Amino acid sequence: MPLENHEKARFLLHRSLVEGISLEDRHWLDAHVEQCAECGRYADVSACAVRALDCFVLELDPAAALRVENAVRSRAEAMRSAEARGKSLLIGTSVALFLTFAGSAVMWRPLAWLASQWSLPSQVCQIVFVVFWLLPSLLLAFLPLFRRRLLGEDSDNNGQTV
Amino acid sequence: MVAVVTAFSRVAEPESQCISRALRRRDSEFIGRLVQQYHYRLLRYLVFWTSRREQAEDLVQETWLRVLEHAGRYNGRLRFEPWLFSIARNLAIDHLRKQQTATQKHRTCREDEEGLNLPAPEFESPFFAAARSEDAQRIAAALGALEPIYREALLLRFQEELSLAEIAQVAGAQVSTVSSRIQRGLSMLQASLGGGVDAA
Repeated sequence: MPLENHEKARFLLHRSLVEGISLEDRHWLDAHVEQCAECGRYADVSACAVRALDCFVLELDPAAALRVENAVRSRAEAMRSAEARGKSLLIGTSVALFLTFAGSAVMWRPLAWLASQWSLPSQVCQIVFVVFWLLPSLLLAFLPLFRRRLLGEDSDNNGQTV
Repeated sequence: MVAVVTAFSRVAEPESQCISRALRRRDSEFIGRLVQQYHYRLLRYLVFWTSRREQAEDLVQETWLRVLEHAGRYNGRLRFEPWLFSIARNLAIDHLRKQQTATQKHRTCREDEEGLNLPAPEFESPFFAAARSEDAQRIAAALGALEPIYREALLLRFQEELSLAEIAQVAGAQVSTVSSRIQRGLSMLQASLGGGVDAA
């Protein structure tokens, strides 16, 4: 039997295990393996090597499995509540920002009128408006979002260190 | 009618989509069931990587926590298993790298402190622990002798039954590389078993 046939058989054997082969190749391989004792043995060893992997069976420790499950579940719950808190903070900040700008628009006219009554220059009026109205409002709006960084908080609601 | 349609759409929804949705919603009940469902397979995969049962158990938990952190990256279009195993793989590799660095440092320390003669850590390989028969012992030795990347490729192909493309996704390698790893792993396993193994 030509040497190429054995090489082809081994190539097809590996390929059939790894990714599958065409029906035509399968017929050729089966016929060859039946005729050739050496390739037949090689096919048996290959099949044994794959079956050998099934020997590896781990014994599960139910307590360890439960520990993992509980840890993951509690982390999921903590993340969900943190995300809900973050979402409500974001909504609160958005509302506060909207009110800040809407309030600014409303407040600007009376302030400008007051400035004209007191004969204040418009630049001074603008600076006073920004410093005493707009900036405090913006700070208050953003404070909840950055409170951890600003206030140096480093613990979550459960009192655990993050 | 709407309830029926909703129920039907839930039933018809692929499992991967359900998993993706539950992970994003942090549904702890569903996630708990998922942890149970994949615990054995994940543990086995990590044991194949680390060869240490205790480390693999720690890494299982870390993998799930990482899954929760990166839940937004899983869109449910592909199967869940390759994504899960790729996270576990990255953690295992990081862990092995840290371990190697620590071992190197330890060696340097030992060279510096000649008087200190620490014994090598002894452990029972999980491959041997899993082996019950004489044949299984030989197989355990053969598995233990394989490099992790070959063990991984064999496990994912023949036990997890992932496709070559999915294994490539897990390993971050080309399909052709994965194919040759499986072939090489099989050849090495055959050589280690000496061709005389009876079906275990």
